[in-house]
Amino acid sequence: MNTQDEKIRFDAIVVGAGLAGSTAAMMMARAGLNVALIERGQKAGGKNYFGGAIYTHAIGEVLPDFMDRKPPFERPVTEAGFWMLSKDGGLTKMTVQGGKLGAEPADAYMASRAVFDVWWAEQAQREGALLIPKTSVVDFIRDSAGQVIGVSTDRAQGDVYAPVVIICEGVNNLLTQKLGLIDHDLEPAHVALAFKQVIALPMDTINARFGLPDEKHGLAASVLGDVSLGLPGMGFVYTNNTSVSVGLGMMLDAVVEYRLKPYEVLQRYLRHPAIAPLIKGGQLMEYGAHLIPEGGYRDMPKLYTGGAMVAGDAASMVNALHWEGTNMAIVAGKLAAETAIEAHKQGDFSAQALSQYEARLKDRFILKDMKQYRNFARFLETHPEFMDAYPGFINDALGQFFSAYGMPKKTLFKNILGSLTSRRQLFKAVGDMLSMGRAVMGW
Amino acid sequence: MFHALVAIKQVPDTTNIRIDPETGNLVREGVPAIMNPYDAHALASAVEWKRKLGGKVTVVSMGPASFTVTIREAVELGADAGYLISDRKFAGADTLATSYVLAAVIQSIHEKDPIDVVFFGKQAIDGDTAQVGPGVAVRLDLPIITYAVKIRDINLAKRHIVVERKTERWTEVVEAPLPALVTCEKEIAEVPFAPLPDLIRSLRYEPEVLTMESTGIFDAEHVGVRGSPTVVFKMGTPPLPEAGEKINSREIGVEAAVATAFAKADAAGILSSVLGGVK
Repeated sequence: MNTQDEKIRFDAIVVGAGLAGSTAAMMMARAGLNVALIERGQKAGGKNYFGGAIYTHAIGEVLPDFMDRKPPFERPVTEAGFWMLSKDGGLTKMTVQGGKLGAEPADAYMASRAVFDVWWAEQAQREGALLIPKTSVVDFIRDSAGQVIGVSTDRAQGDVYAPVVIICEGVNNLLTQKLGLIDHDLEPAHVALAFKQVIALPMDTINARFGLPDEKHGLAASVLGDVSLGLPGMGFVYTNNTSVSVGLGMMLDAVVEYRLKPYEVLQRYLRHPAIAPLIKGGQLMEYGAHLIPEGGYRDMPKLYTGGAMVAGDAASMVNALHWEGTNMAIVAGKLAAETAIEAHKQGDFSAQALSQYEARLKDRFILKDMKQYRNFARFLETHPEFMDAYPGFINDALGQFFSAYGMPKKTLFKNILGSLTSRRQLFKAVGDMLSMGRAVMGW
Repeated sequence: MFHALVAIKQVPDTTNIRIDPETGNLVREGVPAIMNPYDAHALASAVEWKRKLGGKVTVVSMGPASFTVTIREAVELGADAGYLISDRKFAGADTLATSYVLAAVIQSIHEKDPIDVVFFGKQAIDGDTAQVGPGVAVRLDLPIITYAVKIRDINLAKRHIVVERKTERWTEVVEAPLPALVTCEKEIAEVPFAPLPDLIRSLRYEPEVLTMESTGIFDAEHVGVRGSPTVVFKMGTPPLPEAGEKINSREIGVEAAVATAFAKADAAGILSSVLGGVK
């Protein structure tokens, strides 16, 4: 039996059994380290929620045989792209299917985090990591030099010691703040509030309504246009086996400023003439919401200090335009684990030693993309027309182009141009495209 | 040294359970399994007394291998050891067969390591029978105190226990010689937020699994379906009561409404049985 003078010691502590945390625990346990994976929820990832689909490149990097372990995936993403809704009920679809999206295993699968995160943590447990649920880490234990040497939890006799702590606490990064790695709390202007419904429908109905040949095919679409009341935001549609995930994300400051009720905005979106028939007659199974840190590169904390590293949402590792976050979390968790394993080999857990983590992130798409997209979050704030004017214009333009009005085509093209200029002055539209390119390319 | 034995059961969390309207069966899919809440409170009480008197708490449960998580939860809450009685031959047991198996196991534990108090929850929230605890008490010839809300005293020297039990009218204070069996209400003790060392120990705890063969203490005639005379013919949800008649006091005035209500109740024979009628 443990007594109070007997300290609880591990080789490494991971805070949070989401995707980043379980990945870090899995890698370190595989390398022979004794790992405590501390989770505040009843179950791994119990507080997590996403759209959503999960990318396999990151999973395969950690578990090459993942398909043999029967991950709890829903349908593969075999069709992906943009849907653009207009105010008058129109829908333009710009999606791609087949080709690379037909690969096996697929590049991405629809999933439910409540199920997937449990499975992912089980893989860490199989490697020997100890998942400690229902326990919140509330602070750090430091030595006289300020180096992190453990954590304290909300339980009695709850101090846990380890020479390295990987913080994967999620979007609400209070511990990261406590460690002084970032000097401010979440800013509403840089956090998206995403909310969705999961609506149950028979498999055949989903196939028929979304034009999918069978349950081995699935659609993931970003929905632009008449979704978020012209404010920065994007909708989404994902087809699961026997349900559909529909929802949208908006910047939190807009939700607050305009006193929007998320469920009303969602209901409005679901009643759009192009969306309503897709979910008609379905049974509501789930309604939920979660915050997404979309501040990008400029909102990233310092990623390491003596004895600790930060990965995943806690470090703002999200690429909003590409719906990437889960894959970054997994790869970042892996890189933090590799750094911790190396630190154990060297017996050096100083900030200097753990700076290798940042170097590893710079080598990979994570910090490369985060840096390239550093202006993107601000770009959408200043260019709401991409949410509103342009999707409306594209619907209108294509609608006119593919209609025979019995008028000369010269008039038709003039009308289409008029449709654009009525929404946005021509020189401004050209400027928008250039700014978009700059924001994405990081120039 | 105090030795408490707590019998625990894993149940579906009925707070969000659904009944299939067509078959009348419980929809168990996606419903989390939890420790029967009354058992958790009984265990909490046993652990409190262990801490006061010094000693240990042993838990037993009967069910499939998945019940291991519930035994682990018991260890988290302060149990020292756990037995899982698990054998396909025990499946389909009603309260008679269940109390037979539990009594035999408790008896065999008692012979090796004498038990002072056997704790049960007052009932399980899935079956709601409240029969297994009393069934075990009868089989082991133990004094039984049901619906306990407070244990005032356990005196190991004088070999007695003093318990407050709740009845519909009042609270009774009952004294019984040890060993005794107590079935508990939730008021008996608060379920604690376990210290971290207990939680960590529980996560890797493996209960001792008892089977028909490993113990050799069971008569095959009395276990599982063969030992269970209860047969469920049909399950269903009772029909909702129909809405009563409304007497609108705004339309006919309060005085008239009250008079009408009393007249109707009197005519239905309700008032005469309660108040001796209205004159």
